Formats: sequence, structure tokens, C-alpha cells
Amino acid sequence: MNEENYILFDLYLQNEMSVEEKNAFESQLAQDDSLASAFETFKEMQLQLTNKFGITEEREAFKANLKTISEAHFKSSKPKVIQLKPWYYAVAASVAVLIGVFFVNQNSNPRFEDFNQPEQAYFTERGTTEAALKQAEIAFNDKQYKQAISLFETILKENKTAEIQYFYGISLLQENQFQKSETVFNELKSGTSVYKNKAIWQLALSKLKQKDYKATKEILLTIPADYENTEQVQKLLSELD
Amino acid sequence: MEKRTSHPDQMYIEGLANNNSAIIQSIYKKFVPKVVAYIRNNSGDEDQAQDVVQEIMILLFNQAKAGTLNLTCPFDAYFFLLCKRKWLNELKKTSNKGVTINEDLASMSESTQEMILQTEAFDEKQQLFDTMFQKLGDKCKEVLQWSFTLKTMEEVAEKLQVTYGYVRKKKSLCVGQLTQWIQEAQIYKSLKK
Repeated sequence: MNEENYILFDLYLQNEMSVEEKNAFESQLAQDDSLASAFETFKEMQLQLTNKFGITEEREAFKANLKTISEAHFKSSKPKVIQLKPWYYAVAASVAVLIGVFFVNQNSNPRFEDFNQPEQAYFTERGTTEAALKQAEIAFNDKQYKQAISLFETILKENKTAEIQYFYGISLLQENQFQKSETVFNELKSGTSVYKNKAIWQLALSKLKQKDYKATKEILLTIPADYENTEQVQKLLSELD
Repeated sequence: MEKRTSHPDQMYIEGLANNNSAIIQSIYKKFVPKVVAYIRNNSGDEDQAQDVVQEIMILLFNQAKAGTLNLTCPFDAYFFLLCKRKWLNELKKTSNKGVTINEDLASMSESTQEMILQTEAFDEKQQLFDTMFQKLGDKCKEVLQWSFTLKTMEEVAEKLQVTYGYVRKKKSLCVGQLTQWIQEAQIYKSLKK
């Protein structure tokens, strides 16, 4: 196929031919099978290129979100095989005590401390061991939030992911840096990551910690039904009433 | 693509195309454990299962975005078999053992079979296209990338600081080069059969 033909294909597809040129091209296509087949492939290449470059940003966002969900799924499926250890009974007992405390406290306002259960962070992915990430993970899990905050800030400068933002927000909240933490959670809230709903929950907790019960309730009511921890949401709502 | 009524499970496809976290999570919850169990029982581990699942999800995203994924069978069987066949192909690549992959095609319903072949054909075409694109010279890659990212060819010319006439011609010839390679590859493939 000579180069002239490819230039003709493009002119035709861009609708830049005169009526005569167009007719001539179409009758040529009808007579020449190899030209017609080249034209079909040419159109398919245009389609492939549109798919490849037209949605680059969306594709990257999808891949990042997929990776986060996948990591979370495979992480949470692992500990299930662990046998019940004696300290589980201790946990169960203290949960029972907590429930008791709730009953006693039923008439007072709910407290931030009762709902504040930061999850464990596990940033280090298989294959990669980034020193800063590991340090941040250790600091966060040890509840050394001040230290974690500064580590997260360094990491976020280079690699801003929803996961790091989320744990950064939690650390800020633990240190009573409400404004900063709410900015972080609001950003997550308007995104599409898996931390979206969790961020709204944290926003509610932030209001609770500031004893702004009305705002807490308003935020809680905006948490979608598919949030994984709806039990806590319902519990806090009923205690606010 | 002919228009047919979609299966209700098309919601999973739409969810992937819209990057809907809740739907992606529900796919992991409902359909992925079966894939993991299968791969672990067939000389794989959890990490490998995780990779296979992600690759299939990205494939479905791409096909859905290209507007050619209209599910006419249950998502469950479709997704599981795509993952399974992908894994068997991986095994085939790394070991010399012949793995027969087509055995289970016969046992699935006609619509599932058709859906799987469609998606695999889409995958194959896209991979062939990517291979050919990588063979292009840097100038071609650059011109094509911007031609299909920016709205007008005038913007492309400005971006690359060349004339409008040059980018127009270059773009036609570069798409032409791809066309030629793909046609040659298709002829080669049909001779091999």
C-alpha cells in the first residue's frame, strides 16, 4: 500500500474531500478489495489509538483504585487462617465490658474515645521496602502520631495516594489538628477511592471529638449504605438521639 | 456490534467502566475467592492469583470503555473462566507441559462461550496493536500520542512546534505504518493456521 493511500484515508475520515474526490474514493474502495481491507484496518488503528490515549487519565485512576482495593482484599483475607489465640478471649472480655459501659452511659453524650478505633496500617507492599513508608507504618501503629504526621508529609510530597492521605488524616485527628485533618478527609470524600466512605466516617468522628453533636449527626446521615462499617454508624446515631 | 439485551450482571461491567469502588469491592468479595482457590489448587499462589485478577479487571475496563462489552451471560462464569484460562496460559508459557485450554469451552453455555471468545479476541488485538505501536519510531509515537489526546491537529502542531501540514502528513503515515504491520501480522497468522 503506498503512502498516498494513507493520506487519502485520513482526508476521507476527516471529511476534508470535495464531493468529486469523495465519490471517486468510494468507487475505488468498492472495486479494490485490498484497498478496502487496508482502509478497514486503518480505521481500526484509529480506534485503537483513541482507546489507548483518549482515556489515559481515567485508566490510571482505575488502576490505582483497583490496586488499593485488591491489596485491602488480599490483606484482610489472610488473618482468617490464624487460630484463636488466648488473647482473643481477653479482647472478647473487654468488648463485653465496653458494652456494659455503654449501657451505663446510655444517657450521656457519646464520646470520641468510644468510637475511635484507628485500624492498623500495612503500607509495605510485597517486593518493595521503602524506608520512609516502613517508618511511618511503625510510628502510626505505635500511636506515635506526631512522628507519623511528619513522615506522612514527606511521603505525600513524592507520592500522593489515597491510602497515605487517609492515615495522615487519622494521625492529624488524633493530635487534635482538626482543620488540617478535615481538609484531608474532605479531599478524600470528593474522590473515588476506597477511602471515600471511611473518610466521611472520620469527618463525623472529628466533629464528635469537638463535641459538635449536630454536625456529627448531619455527616453520619450522608454515609452511603454500602459503607463497610454501618454498624458503628447506626450505633453512634442512636446514641446521639 | 449488534444490539442485544444485556444480562442484569452488566451492572458489574458498568461499575468497572465508571471506576465504582463499591462494585469493584463486591466483585472481589463475591467472585475473586473462587479464582484464588482455583489458582492455588493449580500450582499457583495468592500473589499470582492477585495479578491474574487485576489483569482481567483491567482488560474488562478497557473493553467496556471501548464500548464493545455487552454482557449476555452471568458475570460469575464469565469472570471465573477468563481468569482460569489466563492462568492456564501463564502456566503454558512457563512450563513445557501442554495445557489444554479448550476443554472447558465445550461445557459452557453458548452465550458464555461467545462472550469469552469476544473478550479474548479483544485482548489479543489490543496486545498485537501495542506490540506494533512500540515498534514505531519516537517521532511517530509522539505525533500519534498528541493527535489522539488533544482536540485539534492545530493544537498538536503548536505543541510539537512544527507546521500543521507536517503533523497531518506524519499522522497519516504513522497510522499507515501501523496498518501495514497489522495486516502483515494477520496474513502471517492465517498462514500459520
